[in-house]
Amino acid sequence: MTRIACFVEKYNFSYSEEAGALQNFKRAAESMGHEFNFMFRNGLSEIPKYDAVFIRATTDPLYTAYVVSKTAWELGLKVVDDPESIRVCANKVHQYRLFEKYDVPRIPTLFLNKEEFHHRTIEEIFELFGKPIVLKAPYTSFSKYVEKVACETSFRDVAKRFFRRSDFIVVQKFMPSRFDWRVGVLNNQVLYVCKYMMPKGKWKHGVKRRGKPSFIWGRTVSLKRDNAPQRLKEVALKACSVVGKGLYGVDIKEVNGDYVVVEVNDNPSIYSGYEDYRNKDIYEKIIKYLTE
Amino acid sequence: MSGALCVLVVSNIDLKTNVAVTKPSAFLKSSVRDCILNVNNDYRYMKLGYYVSLHAEILGNKVVPTTENAVDAYRLPILLVRASKNNVPTMPYIVTDSVKQIMAEFKFPIVVFAVNPFSFEGYYVAKNRSALYRVVKSLSMNYRYAVCAQPLNGEMVSCKSFFGRSNIEDASIGEIAEKVYKTFNIPICKLHIQYVDGKAHLCSLQPLEMEEISPSDLNEISKTVSRFSEKGGFD
Repeated sequence: MTRIACFVEKYNFSYSEEAGALQNFKRAAESMGHEFNFMFRNGLSEIPKYDAVFIRATTDPLYTAYVVSKTAWELGLKVVDDPESIRVCANKVHQYRLFEKYDVPRIPTLFLNKEEFHHRTIEEIFELFGKPIVLKAPYTSFSKYVEKVACETSFRDVAKRFFRRSDFIVVQKFMPSRFDWRVGVLNNQVLYVCKYMMPKGKWKHGVKRRGKPSFIWGRTVSLKRDNAPQRLKEVALKACSVVGKGLYGVDIKEVNGDYVVVEVNDNPSIYSGYEDYRNKDIYEKIIKYLTE
Repeated sequence: MSGALCVLVVSNIDLKTNVAVTKPSAFLKSSVRDCILNVNNDYRYMKLGYYVSLHAEILGNKVVPTTENAVDAYRLPILLVRASKNNVPTMPYIVTDSVKQIMAEFKFPIVVFAVNPFSFEGYYVAKNRSALYRVVKSLSMNYRYAVCAQPLNGEMVSCKSFFGRSNIEDASIGEIAEKVYKTFNIPICKLHIQYVDGKAHLCSLQPLEMEEISPSDLNEISKTVSRFSEKGGFD
């Protein structure tokens, strides 16, 4: 029997679909004869009592989830997401630099240093990528801190905001599409495949309502992993291979019949009735990986 | 990094040394293959010092400090876990955002550290319940992040550490500074230490602000950098 701690924060239970998925993980673990307990940020001292840690709270080296991951790792526990994956996935500059190094098919990308942030550079970027372009903070997640800009004024406004936390930001060519592929990968194997549709008239999967704190999300269309295009799966696995061997959600765009990686996310969303809709075995597979 | 043939020093500090020093902005545009000594007052995640180490790693270079060490050293619970694994005396601690949990664990006075790595703020000592509530709310950025609480059983001392050498002449503090450097390889940092019954315990590590580096500190850093460069490697 393996004792698994699932690190969560209160917000993980806000949506019934996410809460349902967490209960599915618990059920799967217990039916396989393992212990599965939810651990909140006040229970970090309990980590040594467990054999494995599964992180579902949002990960970032600045968040408590990284402390949990690294502490568990230092204690020799099996941990998903491992600290290295968090460091690479949480910082898109780090991630795209690795994609460059290992020649992963990707969206044309540049990095902008705070010190090089001036009129000439902005003009050169617009010349290179055309208008609009996409600015991304390295710490982006859940479609936040990714914005489309089409003029120097909005470029400056958005970049200044992103430079508050990071001395580098990411600039990408704008490549509109009706949906992004989301390929779930575990230990270098495809776990599930979905299409994350864009809401009507929008260019990204999650869009903040104007003047309101809430988000509009596009539909999620799930496919059986065996029915997904082979090339798509190959690109997803190649992208994950430069990050690590954990659990990832790879966002991919289909451009002129080929595939380019948007980003690799650690700690991918798993919502009951969405990512698991056509691949019901994902819970068992993840628990099995944690207990191996 | 021992046995390295060549060391490239990258620094945002105006070092007083004959060794060639590259500015971070120039290094970030280069694709040199060398051992990189990244001398910066601040290696916080996503800051320039961090990106220098990241750039060196992506190029396949050996670098001091690594990005892993830079992240871990500033995340207090990880600092304490890794330091105590390397026989650095540490204080008992609790990571939480619950004042009640802190009070159940420790008696007043309690010293509280931010776990969020944005601040240069060191620590606060809470002597009673209302002070503790105030401190936790402030350091956790309104309960967004956890805090790290430790009992205050002795006297708090802060020292600057340059390549594992403390600016305070004290054997016990010197030993901690040296061991912390061996564990994390952070060339420049500030250490918060608690003296309990004549024995020093590591409490926290922080970046130094540029203004905190005095002319004598600058000489000390420059001398060490020259020595590393002459040797062509690191111990």
